[in-house]
Amino acid sequence: MKKVTRPKFALLGNPNSGKSSLFNYLTGLRQSVSNFPGVTVEKKSGLFEWETGKEALLYDFPGTYSVYPNSSEEKIVVNILTNPDNENYPDLVIYVADATHLERHLLFATQIHDLGIPMIFVLNMIDLVENSTEKINTIPLSSYLQTDVIPVSVRNNINLEAISVSISKLLSSKVKNTITPTYEITDVEKFVSTRVKQLVGVDNLYQAKILAHHFMWIGHLSSEVKAQIEDVVAHSGFNNLSLQVHETMNRFDRFTSVVMETIGTGKNEQRTLTDKVDDVITHRIWGPVIFFAIMFLVFQSIFSWASFPMDMIEQGFATTGAFLSNQLPQVWWAELFVHGLLAGMGGVLVFIPQIAILFFLLSLLEESGYMSRAVFMFDSIMRKFGMNGRSMVALISSGACAIPAIMSTRTISNPKEKLITILVSPLISCSARLPVYAVLIGFVVPVGDVFGIFNAQGLAFMGLYLLGIMGALLSALVFKAILKTDAHSFLMIELPNYKPPIWKNVLITVKEKVSSFIFEAGKIIVLISVLLWFLATYGPTGAMSDAVSKTETESMEREMNEHQKQNLMASHKIEASYIGHLGKFIEPAIAPLGFDWKIGIAILTSFAAREVFVGTMATIYSIGSNDDHQPLRQKMASELRPGTDVKVYNAATSLSLLVFYVFAMQCMSTLAVVKRETNSWKWPLVQFVYMSIMAYAGAWVVYQLMS
Amino acid sequence: MKQKRTLSSLRTGESAFVDVLDECLFTCKLLNLGLLPKTKVTLVRKSPFGGAFYIKLGGYQLAIRIEEADTIYIDDL
Repeated sequence: MKKVTRPKFALLGNPNSGKSSLFNYLTGLRQSVSNFPGVTVEKKSGLFEWETGKEALLYDFPGTYSVYPNSSEEKIVVNILTNPDNENYPDLVIYVADATHLERHLLFATQIHDLGIPMIFVLNMIDLVENSTEKINTIPLSSYLQTDVIPVSVRNNINLEAISVSISKLLSSKVKNTITPTYEITDVEKFVSTRVKQLVGVDNLYQAKILAHHFMWIGHLSSEVKAQIEDVVAHSGFNNLSLQVHETMNRFDRFTSVVMETIGTGKNEQRTLTDKVDDVITHRIWGPVIFFAIMFLVFQSIFSWASFPMDMIEQGFATTGAFLSNQLPQVWWAELFVHGLLAGMGGVLVFIPQIAILFFLLSLLEESGYMSRAVFMFDSIMRKFGMNGRSMVALISSGACAIPAIMSTRTISNPKEKLITILVSPLISCSARLPVYAVLIGFVVPVGDVFGIFNAQGLAFMGLYLLGIMGALLSALVFKAILKTDAHSFLMIELPNYKPPIWKNVLITVKEKVSSFIFEAGKIIVLISVLLWFLATYGPTGAMSDAVSKTETESMEREMNEHQKQNLMASHKIEASYIGHLGKFIEPAIAPLGFDWKIGIAILTSFAAREVFVGTMATIYSIGSNDDHQPLRQKMASELRPGTDVKVYNAATSLSLLVFYVFAMQCMSTLAVVKRETNSWKWPLVQFVYMSIMAYAGAWVVYQLMS
Repeated sequence: MKQKRTLSSLRTGESAFVDVLDECLFTCKLLNLGLLPKTKVTLVRKSPFGGAFYIKLGGYQLAIRIEEADTIYIDDL
């Protein structure tokens, strides 16, 4: 069969041009998201049928202002556009510009034109210009760019079919236009570009000029060629920065008149709705108040709305598991399937409600234009901690669950700010820590009131949350000092006019986030949970059969019923398992924290998820799993250290354990997501190590002070 | 001669024309965002916790840091 090679089309344009909405329109749901090689910048691609039977692979490139980039996303675009051999190099560019800000959006288009890449120019949001009595004349712009100019409105579905017509026309025309550059290069630039053109072996002079500016970080140049370019640049008076500025100014000068002829002056200074809304929403006092109100709503919705579907999923898996356990023969593969695989899959799916709800709300905020206001308001605070205004949103979301919070850092474009946010987010106490806190807090703080009004245990809860927040901010300061970056930190962000969200975009975001979690992080989570199941179910030869015979004799002696016997069996089995041996093995290491081997086992198993601590404790104390914590708490309260009458769960050990759970990285799912978002095992490992050290040190200090 | 004013010296609600930009790493970005010579800029408000400005130019809004605003010299209206 003949292999069909599809042409590659690229959507390019400034941020906020409506590029992604057009992408969603052109590809429908036939799209996928991956990363550009070696980096975690999203590469969205989809199939676009521009003519019956003719399909192209359409890429939605990151929003770009010019070929002189400031962010890692933009650098990727420049890398691709200057290398016709790149696998993502487009055969055709669909350039999208916002008609209401045509002047700014035109700059990058003129640069693409000079690079000689075939282009059609989509002038979006045409309805907003024509409303204000100006009529658009596309002819001057069309002749300036030597391309079709298609006035459309993606939002209101105006004239979108003209895009395909124009593409067909461009691809079927055999005449290859010689391009007239829209920038007249200076003598120095001409000299350097001509030399670079020979050195690299490219046809286009402007492409050579961009290489002369950026050769240091252009991926496809060999170090030999780089050295040669460096030599040419150094000995010709080619001032990199000045010439970039010169070119940019020159381009603007040249096309200002074209913009005037196309859309008219159109700059009215009337106060818009956006101005009025921003008077309140970015107000010195009301701004932060409204922000925290919105965040509270987001937090509440992940916390409480998600709990119902999460319970359903957990219940569903528990019921299915129990049913299968009864039906299937008692052999190892059935055990593996039910308790390893099925449980692992349940552990993945249970996060879907939180991820879906968070991204539904966040993309509403992003689409409507609110998010950039939050960035503006909190820039100065978050900067002190090496983060970004958007980190604020991620940190608050971590209070419910760090997984969607870490996934939301995609929109932070500075790599260092993004990394710090990812690294410290899991220190904010999430909902999975609540059951652990609830079981232990009674051993530290008695029930009662402080000063007659505050609930003492409530205050203790708040203390644990504050400890987590302080831990996160302090770690951020440390990472800010340690981590190195080439990327300049800047704010310079557009505050786009408020607009109603496009629902299709919101739903596509939710779908994409959920499926990427399931299929990428999910694999790792299932794998680790199978491993944990194996370690907790199997043990060294002999140990397991000893556990069984021990249970038989003990249950006979104490005349236990079947239920009690099963609980005792589970308790003896987990003690005899590999993880039980591991728990005993690490006992000397955790003894200075006041922990015994039973706590050691619970710490190890709760790596699957923090709340597993409670279930493991119940198993070890042979209580059987139950939603009611009361029997477990009573049992733990009466537990004495072997050979003494000292209580195991005295205030010192319990508080030490609480502090340990505030800081410890006890969540394989978070690590799996961090691996995906940072594209390497290095950062989840760093995170695991530094949080474990904090947990150990914190618990040690508490225990040593109190005992 | 009087020291030339930069954009960060604007008071809330005050407008001015952009004159020239100090050449630095992000000059191109400021130009891309429309901060071109002879453009009229208005400082709409300062951020709640300081450090950043909400500015308006040619019918749209930008947020920039003080350090960024410091590289933009202005002329009075």
